[in-house]
Amino acid sequence: MAHKPVKEAHPLTFILTHWINLLAMFFLVLSGFYIHFPFIPGLMGLARGTHFFWMFVLLFNLLFRIIASFFVRTTNMPGTREQDLDYKNWGLQGANTHQLWPTVKYYLFLKKDYPISAKYASLQKIAYLATIPLTLAAAYTGFALWGPTSQIPFFQAGTRWWASLFNWGGGGALMPMRILHYWIMWAFLIFTAVHAYLANIYNFAPSKMIFAGIEEPDALIGH
Amino acid sequence: MTNKGTSFYERLEARGVSRRDFLKFCGATATMLGLSSSAAPMIGAKIAGAADEGGLYPALWLHGGACTGCTESIAQATYPNVADIVLDFLNLVGQETIQMSAGVQTLEGNEEFAEEHAGKYILIIEGTVITGLDGNMLRVGGHPFIEELENFASKAAVVIALGSCAVDGGWVVAYPNPAKGTGVGPYLKSKGVATPVVNLPGCPMNPEELVSVVVEALLLADRDSDGVPVLGPIVNRLDANGRPKWLYGSTIHDNCPRRGHFENGEFVYEFGSDEEAMGYCLYPVGCKGPQTYRRCPMIRWNSSVSWCVDSGGPCIGCANWNWVDQNAPFRGRFRRVGAGVLGSGGVDPAIAAAAIGGIAGAALIAHGFGMKAAKRIGSNATLKTEECKEWETKHAKKGGAA
Ligand code: SF4
Ligand code: SF4
Repeated sequence: MAHKPVKEAHPLTFILTHWINLLAMFFLVLSGFYIHFPFIPGLMGLARGTHFFWMFVLLFNLLFRIIASFFVRTTNMPGTREQDLDYKNWGLQGANTHQLWPTVKYYLFLKKDYPISAKYASLQKIAYLATIPLTLAAAYTGFALWGPTSQIPFFQAGTRWWASLFNWGGGGALMPMRILHYWIMWAFLIFTAVHAYLANIYNFAPSKMIFAGIEEPDALIGH
Repeated sequence: MTNKGTSFYERLEARGVSRRDFLKFCGATATMLGLSSSAAPMIGAKIAGAADEGGLYPALWLHGGACTGCTESIAQATYPNVADIVLDFLNLVGQETIQMSAGVQTLEGNEEFAEEHAGKYILIIEGTVITGLDGNMLRVGGHPFIEELENFASKAAVVIALGSCAVDGGWVVAYPNPAKGTGVGPYLKSKGVATPVVNLPGCPMNPEELVSVVVEALLLADRDSDGVPVLGPIVNRLDANGRPKWLYGSTIHDNCPRRGHFENGEFVYEFGSDEEAMGYCLYPVGCKGPQTYRRCPMIRWNSSVSWCVDSGGPCIGCANWNWVDQNAPFRGRFRRVGAGVLGSGGVDPAIAAAAIGGIAGAALIAHGFGMKAAKRIGSNATLKTEECKEWETKHAKKGGAA
């Protein structure tokens, strides 16, 4: 169903956490690429410093975002300005638990109409929630590689296990961990591409709201 | 080898090593072990004492599928150094590369030795455990080597897996591993042999590293009623991968003299360039120092003359697990992973990731055109608000549309 994006859907707190996520990912990916291969000389210290700084920012932001979902109010249905606590958007919701398959079918052009949904459609919700384990996995693999933390048994155990899958059962080589860390970044890039695409497919009203809190008077989402 | 009669220092002297050289060596060993160099006299006294009492440990040195590079490295053919001499005082009864006997004779001699010192000797293994053709790819005296290994390992006090091949199969197990090689630790584990294994990965082994293990064992050991050192506490100083912590606790990169260039972003992008002449960091030309645990920058090679990075070559990560597959190509930054699992020799993550990224991007663009063609977006989009509402009313269990 077409509905109007309202600014009550994105309270200031979440506009800020979204900005921080975006900036953190931008700097992490950029500096990560540089560390992976220093395509121009001179910036390794800067790239590593940037990487560590934004890694901590991203983690604290994630923690804050989760805690905030229990205190900050937001809309939880499309087309309404009524707000409720944000965490309710993230569990199973009667409004759209049954819509996963129809949503998939809609995007694969197997179904004509867009299934109406709660604030987040079922696919969207799964994708957003998946970024939590993905962020944690990026952090875990990153800590497993980082000199000061790589020898902590909690991280070393993961290095050993992951390497063993590529090693006929032996040892703790770091290279597979490094490559896993790199793959996780690609998972994030693909998520971001799909996210930006689907969020703005109908028009850019959702972007105006999440980045600037500006509501477009006539915009409609869905069809 | 019997050392009785002459004192330890006299014997050193006879081989051209002064007491001063010996103490210097002890100081270096102390540093390697994480002790202050003031521990040097204590180490000296321990070694001299052990030697004068008639040898250090009873030890047996067997070869699996080995290129004997580790033996070469330790034998240091040009001139004997102190490390050599200390290793000479290992009460080594058999070393297959350099001993006289062969085949059945060797086996008999080793068997006698193992019976005599059961539970008290060090078993040093150099080379890969070859399991291909039920172990018959490598036979000694008419028996598969794996039988010999299991037999002598189960009677030993401790097994030292010397060099990468003995640790996990080394370069021999690089894809496709036709000899079905494996390491001593994994093999003994699969056979239920509980003798502790000390892993000393590296291709080859550096004599100083083995010496430090022997000395550390000496420092920690008590002696039994026959005056033979009891091993055991050394096992408490191993990391989760069975490696002595003092030898494998930091990466090459942590201690590399070129680390400053790394942080400054001063890199060698091409061999033969000005940057190479300036001794810049070798990261872009494939240095595996950041993911290789070993202390080459401190211990160095060939009696501390130089080491890989110092001599201008990137670290190729020879102390890593499955190191050839993990680290090839040795002079390039991008690595393959998945060899053996995918059975394809692995994929280059950069190419694969770019391909997946490209496919995802293309899919989104195609999808966008699809959305347009289906009149869901764009100026002529048809909004089916009412149908949607109807559909929803039919399907929603509760809650539903606002
Ligand atoms: S040469 Fe290798 S080990 Fe040395 S700083 Fe550069 S990357 Fe690290
Ligand atoms: S520097 Fe690297 S390649 Fe050279 S011996 Fe040490 S671990 Fe092996």
